[in-house]
This record gives sequence, structure tokens and C-alpha cells, in this order.
Amino acid sequence: MKDIFTDLYKKVAGFFQAPSEKENVKEVACNRLKFVLMQDRTNLTPQLLERMRSEMIDLLSKYVEMDKEALELNFAHEGESMALMLSIPVLRAKEESEIQAIIEAEEKAKMAKEALEAEEAAEAEEEISDEDESPEEVDAEVDVEPESEPEEVCGCGCEENEADEACPCGDECEEIEEDVIEDAPVKKSKKK
Amino acid sequence: MTGRVIVITSGKGGVGKTTTSANIGTALAKAGQKVILIDTDIGLRNLDLLLGLENRIVYTIVDVVEGRCKLKQALVKDKKNPNLCLLAAAQTRDKSAVNEEQIKTICEELKEENDFILVDCPAGIEQGFQTAVAAATEAIVVTTPEMSAVRDADRIIGLLEAKEEIESYKLLLNRVRPNLIKSNDMMSVDDVVDILSCELIGIIPEDTGVITSTNKGEPIVNDEKSLAGQAYSNVALRITGEEVPFLDLSEPKSPIAKLIAEVKKFFAGLLGKE
Repeated sequence: MKDIFTDLYKKVAGFFQAPSEKENVKEVACNRLKFVLMQDRTNLTPQLLERMRSEMIDLLSKYVEMDKEALELNFAHEGESMALMLSIPVLRAKEESEIQAIIEAEEKAKMAKEALEAEEAAEAEEEISDEDESPEEVDAEVDVEPESEPEEVCGCGCEENEADEACPCGDECEEIEEDVIEDAPVKKSKKK
Repeated sequence: MTGRVIVITSGKGGVGKTTTSANIGTALAKAGQKVILIDTDIGLRNLDLLLGLENRIVYTIVDVVEGRCKLKQALVKDKKNPNLCLLAAAQTRDKSAVNEEQIKTICEELKEENDFILVDCPAGIEQGFQTAVAAATEAIVVTTPEMSAVRDADRIIGLLEAKEEIESYKLLLNRVRPNLIKSNDMMSVDDVVDILSCELIGIIPEDTGVITSTNKGEPIVNDEKSLAGQAYSNVALRITGEEVPFLDLSEPKSPIAKLIAEVKKFFAGLLGKE
């Protein structure tokens, strides 16, 4: 008997009150719209987002085993600002030893890469120092213009020619040769 | 005299650009301003229909551009108000018939003898939009409280911001339905303004009178009793620099609706919030 009355009361009260229990379609629309506008405004194409997603998967899977298919990467709004939300369903935490092994392997690879790079750099340095030899002598005669680009070094193999000697590759090289000379002081300072 | 050139644009079609152009133009003319309405929706012209001038058009903007007539010959005077003139779009051509430079030349000439030049922009963001916007220094972005319309308006605002010539742009929220907003079924005015973060120039309630007025070829601002007409008149006043408060659409109009609202409020107060 009491139930009937409380039911009736609730129904009457529900009629007079604001539709708070009802689905708030407006909220849904607002949230969806904010979400889609955020994506529109970022200028990130779906391809770029996908790339970002796969890069994140590569990074994170070093530490946890996760459901790669279910990983969600989305923009969300927090008040005025924008947030990038990443939701990662973790399947299994990796053993510490596993993680260590991955990190070590990575470090090794990194060191190998660095060693290779250092080798390459050393080779490149040698070439540069070869270039420097001849300009050093004419240094004082040339106006120093450090802003000229070092990339303009002649590629024809005639760098070692003296300024007044004929260049095997012709007119084109004469101009470039000057650049090489002008560059010399910059390179020297780098070496020191 | 140096007239103001205002483009009325929206991105999405069907949100009421042409209705807005016709009504703001008419309201400004009624207020004593000299107004030219330019329809740039070449190939899909409709502004002539809304003003009831479809039978009076001899020359169009394309004829002016291609030198078949003088600009003054192509201006069609409104039936009621001699302050208002229409430069109609051609129906048989497409948007490429007029370019940005040509519309600038036309507007420069019209600015000399008029207070306002309102450019009714076609839907979309392609060349037609670029042409319509080219001569304007102000813009009114028309949208409705619907997701697709708001999204397109956001895109348009982005494009307008990139244009140096556009000094200011304002939002006109059309087809607002207070009942749906009240029941949380539609985004409110505040929601839309918040999302687009753009200054408002008008809130136009949904009004069946707009349909009948279009059918008659007479803008709704000529109907003094219509709420939408009143809202459009207020927009025109705001354009001329007057400060007019926005209509309160949440208040029910009929006395019975008012009574029901009062009773509801009373009981809600008695019951308290659960």
C-alpha cells in the first residue's frame, strides 16, 4: 500500500520537476561537437594521427604488453584547453627482467649506431681539414664573411687548387672556390 | 558617402543566409538607410524570390561584369522601399562568371552612394565564397543550433580570420527553438556562442511566419507582430550601432503557457529537489 503512494508521489513530482533524469540530448550534442571541432582545428589528418598512434604503440610496448587494437588516441577538451587522451588496455605487466633485456638491447643498438655515426663524422672531418689547408695561406687577403653557407663547397674535387690555378671543372668552380676560402675561418674556429 | 560592405555567409546551406540578407536589408532600408543587396549565388539565385522582385529583373550582376549594361541599370528597386535595391545573380551561369576583382569594383562604385552593401554569399567554401567575401570588410556568420551548422560556421570563422580585409565578424543564431532548449533537446544560445567563441549580433526564433512570408515574397520584418521579424529589426539596429537587448525567448508568450509555468514553478518549490 505504501509503495503505491510513493510511486504516485514520484510520478507527480516527476511531472513538475525539470527533466533531470531524461537523457540530456543537448549535452551529447555539445560534447560531440566540441570533440569534432577540436579535431577539425588541429589540422592533424587521420594519416598523421594513425602514425602518432603506431609510434606510441612502439614506445609503450617496451614496458607493458597491451591490446594494440584497442588502444585509443583521442582529443578531449578540459575546459578551455585541449588534451590528448590515450587509453591503453593493458593485457599483462612485463617482468622487470624482460624490460631490462629490451632496454639493454636498445642501448646496444644505440651505441652501435653512435659508433657508426662517430666514424662517419671522423671521415667527414678529415675531408674538411683537407679543404682547409690551401685557404689558410690566403686567409689575410680575403674579406671574412662568416655568414656564407658551408654547404657551397665545390663538389668537383678541386678544393685543393690554389686560387690562381686553373680549375679542371671550369668557370663554375671559380666562384665556388672563393666560397671555400671565405669559409675557412669559420671551420677553423669549429675545430678549436 | 562611404558605405559599409557586409557579407552574409554560413558555410552550410539552408540555415537562412538569404532570408537573413533580405530581412536585414529591408529593416535597414526601413530605418532610412540606403541599402544594396547583392546576390552572389550565381546559378542558384533566390534573393529575388524572397523580396518578391523575380518579375522585375532585367539585368544581372553577370551582365554588369560583362559590360552589357551599366551598374545602375541592373539595380532593381524594392516594391515598397525606394531605399532598397537588389543586384540579382544570373541564373544561367555559374560562380566563375564573376571574379574577386570584379566584385570589388562593383562594391567600390556602390559604396559612394549607399550606406550598406549586403552581399548574400553562396553555401560552401569554394570560389563562390571567396568572391563574395572579397569586397567585404565585415561579416555576419549565420548558423542554427544544430551540430552540422555549427561545425560549418566554425570552419567559416577560421577562413574569415585568415582574411585581412575582414575587420569584424559576428554570429547570427537562426531558427532557435526555446522549447527544445528548455527540455535540453537542443543546444542553447550560450552553448553555441561558447563553442564558437564569437560575438552575437542576433538570435532569431524559429517562426512559421518565415515560410508564409517567403511564399508571399515579402520579408518578415514587414510583419510587425512576428517575433522573428522583430528579432531581425533588432539586428539591423545593432548593425547601425544601437544597443538593443536580445529578445527573451524563454518567456512563454500566451497567458495559459505562463500560468502553467507558474503552477509548475510553485509545485517544484513545494516538493523541493530530490
